[in-house]
Amino acid sequence: MKRYIAGRLLYTFVILFLVSILVFILARLLPGDPIQAAAMINMDLANQEIIQDLRIRFGLDRPLYVQYVIWLRDFISGDWGVSLGSGEAVFDMFFKRLPVTLELFAGSVFWSCLIGFPLGILSALRRNTWLDAMVTATAITGVSIPVFWEGIVLIYLFSVVFHWLPAAGFVPFAESPLGNFTSLLMPSFVMGTHGAGLFARYIRSSLLEVLGQDYIRTARAKGLSEKAVLIGHAAKPAMIPVVTVVGLAWGYVVAGSFIVEYMFAIPGLGRMGVDAVFLRDFPVIQATLIMTAVNVLLVNLLVDLIYGCLDPRIRIQ
Amino acid sequence: MKPESTEKLLEVRNLCTHFHTRAGLIRAVEDVSFELAQGETLGIVGESGCGKSVSALSLMRLIPNPPGRIMKGEIWFEGRDLLKLSEGEMGRVRGNRMAMIFQEPMTSLNPVLTIGRQVAEPLEIHQAARPDKAQILCGELLERVRIPGGRKRVKDYPHQFSGGMRQRAMIAMALACTPRLLIADEPTTALDVTIQAQLLELMKNLTRDCGTSLILITHNLGIVARYADRVNVMYAGRIVEKARARDLYSRPRHPYTVGLMASVPRLDQDVKCKLRPIQGQPPDLLQLPGGCAFQPRCGRPIEICRIQSPLLTVASENHEVACWNPADYPKEIGGEHALTS
Amino acid sequence: MAIFQRNTKVKPALCRTGALAVSAALLRHKSAGAGMAIIWMLLVMALFAPWLSPHDPNEQDLYHVLQGPSRAHLLGTDDVGRDLLSRVLYGARISLIVGLLSTLTATVIGVFLGLVAGYKGGLIDGFIMRLTDTVMCIPGLILLLVMAAALGPGIHNIIIAISALGWTVFARITRGQVLMVRELPYVEAARAAGASGWRIMFQHLLPNSMAPLIVASSITVGGAIMLESAAAFLGLGVQPPTPSWGEALRVGYSYLEIVPLFSLAPGLMITLAVLAFNFLGDGLRDVLDPRLRGEGDKIK
Ligand SMILES: Nc1ncnc2c1ncn2[C@@H]1O[C@H](COP(=O)(O)OP(=O)(O)OP(=O)(O)O)[C@@H](O)[C@H]1O
Ligand SMILES: [Mg+2]
Repeated sequence: MKRYIAGRLLYTFVILFLVSILVFILARLLPGDPIQAAAMINMDLANQEIIQDLRIRFGLDRPLYVQYVIWLRDFISGDWGVSLGSGEAVFDMFFKRLPVTLELFAGSVFWSCLIGFPLGILSALRRNTWLDAMVTATAITGVSIPVFWEGIVLIYLFSVVFHWLPAAGFVPFAESPLGNFTSLLMPSFVMGTHGAGLFARYIRSSLLEVLGQDYIRTARAKGLSEKAVLIGHAAKPAMIPVVTVVGLAWGYVVAGSFIVEYMFAIPGLGRMGVDAVFLRDFPVIQATLIMTAVNVLLVNLLVDLIYGCLDPRIRIQ
Repeated sequence: MKPESTEKLLEVRNLCTHFHTRAGLIRAVEDVSFELAQGETLGIVGESGCGKSVSALSLMRLIPNPPGRIMKGEIWFEGRDLLKLSEGEMGRVRGNRMAMIFQEPMTSLNPVLTIGRQVAEPLEIHQAARPDKAQILCGELLERVRIPGGRKRVKDYPHQFSGGMRQRAMIAMALACTPRLLIADEPTTALDVTIQAQLLELMKNLTRDCGTSLILITHNLGIVARYADRVNVMYAGRIVEKARARDLYSRPRHPYTVGLMASVPRLDQDVKCKLRPIQGQPPDLLQLPGGCAFQPRCGRPIEICRIQSPLLTVASENHEVACWNPADYPKEIGGEHALTS
Repeated sequence: MAIFQRNTKVKPALCRTGALAVSAALLRHKSAGAGMAIIWMLLVMALFAPWLSPHDPNEQDLYHVLQGPSRAHLLGTDDVGRDLLSRVLYGARISLIVGLLSTLTATVIGVFLGLVAGYKGGLIDGFIMRLTDTVMCIPGLILLLVMAAALGPGIHNIIIAISALGWTVFARITRGQVLMVRELPYVEAARAAGASGWRIMFQHLLPNSMAPLIVASSITVGGAIMLESAAAFLGLGVQPPTPSWGEALRVGYSYLEIVPLFSLAPGLMITLAVLAFNFLGDGLRDVLDPRLRGEGDKIK
């Protein structure tokens, strides 16, 4: 188990390192260097001398790898630069918006499980019936439906036609718990749809696979009822591989948050990233890319560790 | 129609189990009848795919449905017809009065549950043992099946056990409630020869101690000769020969049985005499030939074999055979088994 | 002393199934059949848009903006009075072009890198595989947005950006197949005998890798269409006068209360397109590669 954990940690750090290089290169690909980008937004800087001065101050005249090392050092020490749009420190911006997005993440995971688990179990138990076919079609639809289209349909139905839910906007929990709840209901549902579809499909095939195993026959041969076999012997081995689906689905949840926060005007990290892209706000883009990768990698690391804990074949070596 | 004799533990009458697959109907077990007395050991032999496992699973009513179904027949066990029991009543028979050990020790234990939990479970279900008490009993059971340090291994997981140890754990699980009937479906096929012998010996001793009857399914005629009192030979879903083990060995009547004997090395046999595998392919249950199923591979077919399937008939005392032209003794059998060439 | 040989009946491999047999099987597969029908419909829309459209998609009519469905405009008009139905029909072009072209380039890049990784092994393999991991750990949409910002808007740049994200799946599949084929005895023997392994490897690689690659391509087309419209929805897609579903969705979204069809109709088309390719991919997987199905009803 120790070796397993060490392996996963090492892997995560290697990929993080590569991500930082990739982001660094991507940032240099943006049209103009950061100072010029800043100048485009902030006209006061449009003086060539000042620009040259700034270039030297930011080390942009040095060789690329030196720039990379300086940049990485600054980033790790929490100096993520200053937003070219608002002039705020990117680090502060990030952590101010983080709770909003986390709340949205939690909501979407909740929806994914609430819908995906029962559907998957049901279709496995009613395999090859019309119900199974319906669930499978629903699951593929859930995986395929574009976030923005689903969002528009829901807004049209629940806000425009029925006036039940707000079309956009965010209410902090401290201000009004109920308002907070209703303002996140639709966005989190939309973000959770993809995961729900994935869960349903994986749970179905995982459960079917397990139910066909020899050890399920052994359990039946002991005289256990069908229900006891399902709960006591099939559930655990069937659910362990499903943990990995969380890692698979997470990328979609994160990507979904960018569009959803934009559509529903939610002041979270996704919205911050989209705005930064519009403005070419290059420090914010960089931070967004890196922290997104950190987020995805951390969740995947967690998934691997949980998987290792649940599966005795990995836990006890 | 309840059988009168009380010493009979099990009586199977006209059992038919079919599989309705996309490719067609498979009559995996067709019109099988046999009986078993208290404490007796019955061997079932036959080629792969002849329906041995399906017969055993039918007794336990564990045929996967769909695609399989027990079409007709009666299974009288301890005075009740198992096929008439409700699912709940059947649950109280399985693992309690009648237990089964499977062919594949590597996959028959749940990889994510401890050995203790799995072995003790029958006690918890059928004898309402409390979990902590069951774990202690389970340790004793593991010792009884000679798992080294049994008590300490209750908390282990299957992957920490070797194949032989897993099969021992399976035996412990099956015998936990001292069932009246133990069905062992090729319990040792996947294991190496020394462990095979140890396990069979262990099973024999344990069942004898408890007075448990045993159905021993195997490919291996040597095992049958050694451990079984009586033998059913199966071919293509039917029993083709039924006899006491000794009689079957000394005087096989069905050409198929004769062929089986000829393909096994025997100690009392001349070294020069070559082993002869049975010719031809095992039958395809989807397309059985008309008449006797064995006729295409038979060394001594006669006219009627192609037309009509033979029924089991008494050939001598305690010896039944389903063949139109069975081998005769003693004149045809010499030093060589001449029937299959 | 086991006396019988185990009955090892092997089903004939599906590798030689002709294209005809595959399409027949696909038609019988319910969801794949539906997927194919939708894809045909999209192709017809894209190819025959000029003949099917009741109006010029770029003809503005500022006297009739934001109208609901009428006899003249079956789906109504947009914010500058263009006929929505015509724009939706023409919009199939952009989506299909982006979907197919970027998948094609992604496949070429991915298969090439996968071949190199699997065949060379060692450091190069490690580098390429870690590169795929790196690209995969940032969600495609976010990388796409950044790249669109870096390269500027326009259909070419969108295709370049999507290809640059999509190759990873194909690289992984190809590498896996190469590693498998390498282990085959005759390939090893040929390599040991000094023959270039490439030729013999290709001979075995192709039939083995086709099924998973085709399945992945189909799903990637859907993904690419989704990414393109997402970028367009955020205003980073094709340049304005070109009819595009994502772009229409973006503008129509602001008028959701007045003319819902303005955004609902193009959105439905995007969903149908993505769904169709996913259904097709699903069906292809069932038909080409039954091993991947993971059904519990195998014979025990
Ligand atoms: N789940 C199933 N679905 C369809 N057919 C089945 C199923 N299980 C068994 N069969 C068929 O029933 C026949 C008998 O199978 P069975 O498992 O009883 O053979 P066996 O004698 O136990 O062989 P082995 O020595 O290989 O265990 C086989 O021809 C097989 O094709
Ligand atoms: Mg068997």
